[in-house]
Amino acid sequence: MRHIISMLLQNEAGALARVASMFSARGYNIESLTVAATHDPLVSRLTLVTIGDDAVIAQIIKQSRKTIDVLEIADLTSRDHLECEMLVVKVTANATNAAEIARFTELSFGIILDEGETTRVLQFSGRGAHITGVLAELTDITTILELARSGTAAIERGTSVLGLAEPALAV
Amino acid sequence: MNAMLQERSEAMNDAEVHPLSGVRMSGADIVVQVLADEGVGVIFGYSGGAILPVYDAVFRYNHEQLGSDGSEPLPLIVPANEQGAGFMAQGYARASGKVGVALVTSGPGATNTVTPVRDAMADSIPIVVICGQVPTAAIGTDAFQEAPVSTIMGSCAKHVLLVTDASLLEASLRTAFEIARSGRPGPVVVDIPKDVQNAELIFSGSSRLPIPGYRARLKAVTDSRLQPTECTAFLDALGKAKRPLLYVGGGVIAGEATRALRSFAEAFGIPVTTTLMGLGASDTTEPLSLHMLGMHGTAYANYAVCDCDFLIAVGARFDDRVAGVPRQFAEEARFIAQFDVDPAEIDKVKQVDWHHLGDLSDALDALRKHAAATGFDAYGQGRYADWHAHIAALKKTHAMNFDRDSALIQPYAVIEEINRITRGNAIVSTGVGQHQMWAAQYFDFTEPRRWLTSGSMGTMGFGLPAAIGAQFARRDMLVIDIDGDASIRMNLGELETVTTYDLPVKVVVLNNCGDGMVRQWQKLFFKGRFSATDKSLHKKDFIKAAEADGFPYAVRLDRVEDLPRVIAEFIAFDGPAFLEVMIDPDACVYPMVGPGASYAQMITGEHITSRDPFVAEESGPVEMF
Repeated sequence: MRHIISMLLQNEAGALARVASMFSARGYNIESLTVAATHDPLVSRLTLVTIGDDAVIAQIIKQSRKTIDVLEIADLTSRDHLECEMLVVKVTANATNAAEIARFTELSFGIILDEGETTRVLQFSGRGAHITGVLAELTDITTILELARSGTAAIERGTSVLGLAEPALAV
Repeated sequence: MNAMLQERSEAMNDAEVHPLSGVRMSGADIVVQVLADEGVGVIFGYSGGAILPVYDAVFRYNHEQLGSDGSEPLPLIVPANEQGAGFMAQGYARASGKVGVALVTSGPGATNTVTPVRDAMADSIPIVVICGQVPTAAIGTDAFQEAPVSTIMGSCAKHVLLVTDASLLEASLRTAFEIARSGRPGPVVVDIPKDVQNAELIFSGSSRLPIPGYRARLKAVTDSRLQPTECTAFLDALGKAKRPLLYVGGGVIAGEATRALRSFAEAFGIPVTTTLMGLGASDTTEPLSLHMLGMHGTAYANYAVCDCDFLIAVGARFDDRVAGVPRQFAEEARFIAQFDVDPAEIDKVKQVDWHHLGDLSDALDALRKHAAATGFDAYGQGRYADWHAHIAALKKTHAMNFDRDSALIQPYAVIEEINRITRGNAIVSTGVGQHQMWAAQYFDFTEPRRWLTSGSMGTMGFGLPAAIGAQFARRDMLVIDIDGDASIRMNLGELETVTTYDLPVKVVVLNNCGDGMVRQWQKLFFKGRFSATDKSLHKKDFIKAAEADGFPYAVRLDRVEDLPRVIAEFIAFDGPAFLEVMIDPDACVYPMVGPGASYAQMITGEHITSRDPFVAEESGPVEMF
């Protein structure tokens, strides 16, 4: 089944490659991967979406937890969590569909980032299903030229926080 | 006892200020100073362009710190190939419990150590490999002797540190040793660009890298104590058992828990079987020791596993060579308990009913004390009398045996003859294959750290360099490399290393003219098609090879009647000695639990009594490995 795995990593060269190789070594495809520094610049948060056997994923998580640079790791799949993804998409625009694009973007909680003579760059965010739906509807209105999806970012609902008991800087 | 505790760094109080703290040093000098601080007694390595500054620093350090007897504090032992250096570091680590160190150059020097690094990871052996790297500015430009070491090693080591910030060099090195020896031990690689070795730095004497996640997880395991409720749950289950069995792995050796394990087994009267890596954890000459279990374990150990109703795994991981079919492994056991230090090993292969993560000695001692305090009477009412009688009968009925009347030299007889002299008082290393299994089966093992073998990776060529490393760790002990003709070929260049350093290592080559173990599988599973495993037409003369490398004793043994005399003179020889034994090329390793087979399907051969009628199956392509 689909798994959403969240990880806090020390912001070290090679840390991301080591974690990713845990999946590739087993032939597991990473559906999406987002990683960026957190409010602690020494710590990155990584969200990884993969599809695989539950037992194998559980083993990968246990093995990943042994990676020196990993601060904390959790499988959010079975927990009450929120998912969010961002889409930046460039579409063709002309006199006949420009108004329709603008209306659709507004209705879909999107933003027009750029208006060219014959193009529009749009930004949408939301759950993966919402983004997929937006893309499907856009294709009815206009032609998609190129797009970039951020991949899923996820966070647990409520007071639960992924992290170490001690601050990351402690030696 | 606990060699790791003797290492200076462990004894050094963190609050103490290093006498060299604040001194200006080059990166290379810092490397050498940290090695000295960490208690490294010998460095195994091969020089080259990108590691020259460190080699120069070692030279200067040894010159400046020369002992009054002319001894160097950090002798540099040069192998024929960097793979040899890696396995020497492993042999040193396995025999002593201390961290072994290999020092190599960039590119090919580093990639030649990939195999020993992976091997150390697979067997949880603490080594630190220090590699030179091209200068920081040249990384990624396809420079001369450049290889992406951090990427390559990242997939096979416990950790890799690429030092791009010279100010973190000292902290990185010290942290490398900490990671290598702590928790489940393993190899750590430190990749040091040449400009970092030449950088002018200030020595701190105590700096370490922040690795809060690792340290927090480690602390959770090391601080973990078995709680009274957990003791009660364990003892309640044990109290109901009639046929308990200890299944002991390399974790007991790595965790220095041999004493605690033996006390535990004795206090409760529980028989012990060990894995290949666990040999030496229990004294195999004791009545309740069942020697090794698994694919080539003793028949009596494997039958005991089938018969036990309570299995206690200690530092063992239900590896495929032990539990080929996890579901059928110890099928009669109504309760399985597991002790380990690695959370990833719990429920990995076999679901267990009870487990404890923490120091093995501490947990085993706690259970023993809890039992004594609560009046748990292990021997009461002849609790295990039947089980002990059953074990004794299994050992008698299904004893190890072979064709003792053959006109050809039987490999088992060679090991038995050596064992008659050593009786466990020798360090034995091996290559990989049949000779490795015969050595595991026919030697007595009385103490830990005297059995050095590539267990998980199964690396041919391990034996000779490992023996060299072990001899440096234990100058006082007899070190014997039991090798095969195919295995020793892989690192034959290290014969020269033995004589260069005048090490009294005893090298035995059991020559069956090819890859015996693979031939055994081809015989069983590929209808006897010996694809690429027969070397009987090769022109190799091992005796000439040993003589060419300066072995003062190099003898070929090919007559059965000479066996006792030659073995005795070989072992007694004062200096490097090489013995080639022409063995029965058809000798097989029995018992054998085929890949993907259960213990009930164990093949015991002609000379070991089986209790299950063997059902010959038409062999086809085997999925298992």
